[in-house]
Amino acid sequence: MTATQNDKDIALDIQTSERVGRVVGIGHTSSQEFRVVLDEQAYLAVDDLVLVHTEVPGIGTLTTYGVVVESEATYEGAAYESDVHRIAGDYAMGGGLGVGGLQPAAKVRSAQVAVTRVDPEMWVAPDPGAEVFRARGIERDRALFADEMRRPLPVGRGRDGEPVYVDLDFFDGTKGGHMSIAGVSGVATKTTFAFFFVRLLSGNPQLVGPSASNTRVLVFNVKGEDLLYLDRPSTEFDDEAAAAWRKLGVEPTPFALATPGSRPSPPAPGVPTVAYWASPRAHAGDALMPDVSSRTEGIAAFHWTPREFIDEDLLQFVFTDATDARNQIPFVEERVRAQLKRLAVDVLGAPGAVVLREPNDRQGGQRAVHSRAQERVIRTLHDLSEEIGVHLEPESGDEPDFAWSGRVQGGTVSAFMRRLHAASTDSRLGRLVRDGESHRIDRQAATVSVVAIQNLHDLAQRFVVGALLRETFRDKEETGQRLPLSIVVLDELNKYAPREGQSPLKEMLIDIAQRGRSLGVLLIGAQQSASRVAPDVLENASIRVTGRLDAAESERAEFGWMLPSTKARARLLKPGTMVLGQPAVPVPIVLNFPRVPWATRADEVRADADADPFRGLV
Amino acid sequence: MARLYVEDWSPEYGAPFESDPDTLPSEVVVDTAVEVRGAWEPLPGRDDGVRHVAFVDGVQRLEARLTLDDPDQGPLPGICAAYAIGASVWDRDAGASTFAQVSVHRLAIFGESAAPEFPVVPGLDYRVESCTARDLPSFQAMLGGRRAQRETRLVEAMADTDCFVVKDGRIDDTGPLHAVGYIKSHNRTYLEPPHSRVIAAIRAGQRTPIFEVHEKFSRFSWYIRLADMPYGHSWSGIARIEASASLGIDRARVIADRTAALLPLAAMPLHLDARAPQNLIPIAALEKELRRWLGDEGLVRRALRMAIHGAPAGVTA
Repeated sequence: MTATQNDKDIALDIQTSERVGRVVGIGHTSSQEFRVVLDEQAYLAVDDLVLVHTEVPGIGTLTTYGVVVESEATYEGAAYESDVHRIAGDYAMGGGLGVGGLQPAAKVRSAQVAVTRVDPEMWVAPDPGAEVFRARGIERDRALFADEMRRPLPVGRGRDGEPVYVDLDFFDGTKGGHMSIAGVSGVATKTTFAFFFVRLLSGNPQLVGPSASNTRVLVFNVKGEDLLYLDRPSTEFDDEAAAAWRKLGVEPTPFALATPGSRPSPPAPGVPTVAYWASPRAHAGDALMPDVSSRTEGIAAFHWTPREFIDEDLLQFVFTDATDARNQIPFVEERVRAQLKRLAVDVLGAPGAVVLREPNDRQGGQRAVHSRAQERVIRTLHDLSEEIGVHLEPESGDEPDFAWSGRVQGGTVSAFMRRLHAASTDSRLGRLVRDGESHRIDRQAATVSVVAIQNLHDLAQRFVVGALLRETFRDKEETGQRLPLSIVVLDELNKYAPREGQSPLKEMLIDIAQRGRSLGVLLIGAQQSASRVAPDVLENASIRVTGRLDAAESERAEFGWMLPSTKARARLLKPGTMVLGQPAVPVPIVLNFPRVPWATRADEVRADADADPFRGLV
Repeated sequence: MARLYVEDWSPEYGAPFESDPDTLPSEVVVDTAVEVRGAWEPLPGRDDGVRHVAFVDGVQRLEARLTLDDPDQGPLPGICAAYAIGASVWDRDAGASTFAQVSVHRLAIFGESAAPEFPVVPGLDYRVESCTARDLPSFQAMLGGRRAQRETRLVEAMADTDCFVVKDGRIDDTGPLHAVGYIKSHNRTYLEPPHSRVIAAIRAGQRTPIFEVHEKFSRFSWYIRLADMPYGHSWSGIARIEASASLGIDRARVIADRTAALLPLAAMPLHLDARAPQNLIPIAALEKELRRWLGDEGLVRRALRMAIHGAPAGVTA
């Protein structure tokens, strides 16, 4: 930049910026932080953005940008705390002796500023006494590096009401990937923010790229049924929130319903679609009913057939308990899985079901056979478990079939069988595997696929998550293309990728965290305590977002990206306020995100939501 | 051509000196019957609701020793000194105090009436003064005199703004009527028994009757007690107030009552200051502020050396 240009820019700055005070010169200023003593008529609040011009001999003018991290005030001239009584005017001390207002002192207000940027990049401390301006307009964007972001996606509003941006390059895998959301539970902020982010993504197709409309989001509803109203307008959504959304450049609408087999919402361009899937109800006989209580239409039940279960290696996700890995169960499981794959053959007239038959026992390599009288037709997980038992725990009391068990201790084999039997009951995994038409989840049916597994046993939840993550990851591995993006929203990440122990699910999440970036599989992980999540998963998240934090949690190393002042404040954040950390901006930024237009709980669903949306329109 | 030198700090410069010596008792005549004839009793103070009270004070400092080396007359002593004066104005309705009229003055005083050209010291405006004597006490007396003149002018200015003025130290005869001097050290008593016994008898908020002191000029005076001090001797917490006798006894009584009632309010809590309670809160704060206005001593000496020697401290010419 030439000197004249620079001068012109500075002249412009002063027009658009309001002076708030001067750099404090008691103690040292530094290239990282400084303090501002405020002018009488000015104020600075925490999160406000400021700038200072510094003349550097031989270089020229530097502009230092910063964010206010603390606001302070004191009486200058008071030496003792009780001096305050003597300075302030409304106090009479005991016994009638001593009154207020006798001691002169100056009220001084100041602010601590953390430097976000020095432009040009030369880390020189601002001069004491230098004038400090509020950063506005283009200067504000510079303070937040928005001018250097190639693809700035607005994700909320700063304290000044202006948008705060995330550089999409650091989410979609271009330069970095994944997002980690932390915060205490109960305020529903984490998943709401995740959906808010997804909604903004789909509202900005020009940023996402040409494949934007094919972006797919997979999310699991693991508690309550709070994610089953993404297509229902919310009673909590008001004009103010709508205005905030428009300020972010996105028209606030709920998602459009697109569950296969249901009456779809009227098509609306630019509105992302949602499909709901739920595990089938247990003990329902042949009826296939989604296991949810709060909505009946627009939701489809899913399960896998034994054929799919075997073809897609889902057996491994039956053994996701951390103790399983220590017991050598995976050795048996791998062996069994290979056997099943080798032997399973379709049964004519029983779609989805299989029988196990040696390949050389099939005529001419038939793809489907008639079942024989002595043969067990595997229609359920229970059948499968029984059939495996025949080989691993023969009724004759013989040793297990070596081809099925491999060289493991007898105890391991029985542990395997015990777990498999337990898992195949209807209340656990049993209901997720049955023959018949394929009812697997079609992730392509809608932008967002919500998979409701809140009524499943822990074991079954991990199974579903594992199976679907694997499917997602494998699809992308096969295409080898980063685009279109495949996003997975996973709450309670610590349950699936705990810090301690091994499980196939954890390994897959680590794999996604490490390789997913280049494959376009992006994890939006949420957890109450980041410290209980596998570090490999967390460390790979470029974008970090935090809502209200438990005090002890905020002191952990996982939150080292936050400033001490931000940590202190993270204990007090209200729902809707988040702290954002991203590689492109060296300090955490506090942002607000508006209420979302869709209901986040059953009691938020607007009463007229089921009515014809076009009613009243002529 | 005489050359000027600035020299290191010498021990006596740091030592406090009394700029307010009380005159000896033999020189004064005291009239104890101006307010109360006959036996004295403690009198209660009364707050008449005066709105603005201005406390006026000054501080001074010796900053360097000068030597004017004249080839013919030999070395001549001098000093650089500074003083600051100002007021702390208590607005009783607003319940707030502010500093007012703070000013800083600097003097270069030379002995034996010498008045050499003094170099320009950036940021420090020294005025050259000549003193006929050549000893330090005389220089200090001259400094004190200049400061007293300024303080008197400030007392006048504050009184003109409708303030009741309490000046730290004695008043002189040119002072205005609406001002009192506040004397916290008692080198002697103006009163003889039995009147002097009343001083021990007054409690906080009370005063002695007014007596008149005839010195170079006549002034009214009275004692007040600022605080009843635990474990205090009979004179602890006692201050003496004086006002011009030209006030007339009726107006003097109103002012005396006012000081007896008001000044204990301004007394420093005992645990905060070794000079409590006599060191009044506004005056302590004002002195602190004035010392701040005098600036950093080290920087002042450095500037002097730069101006006079052309080299900072520690550099030998």
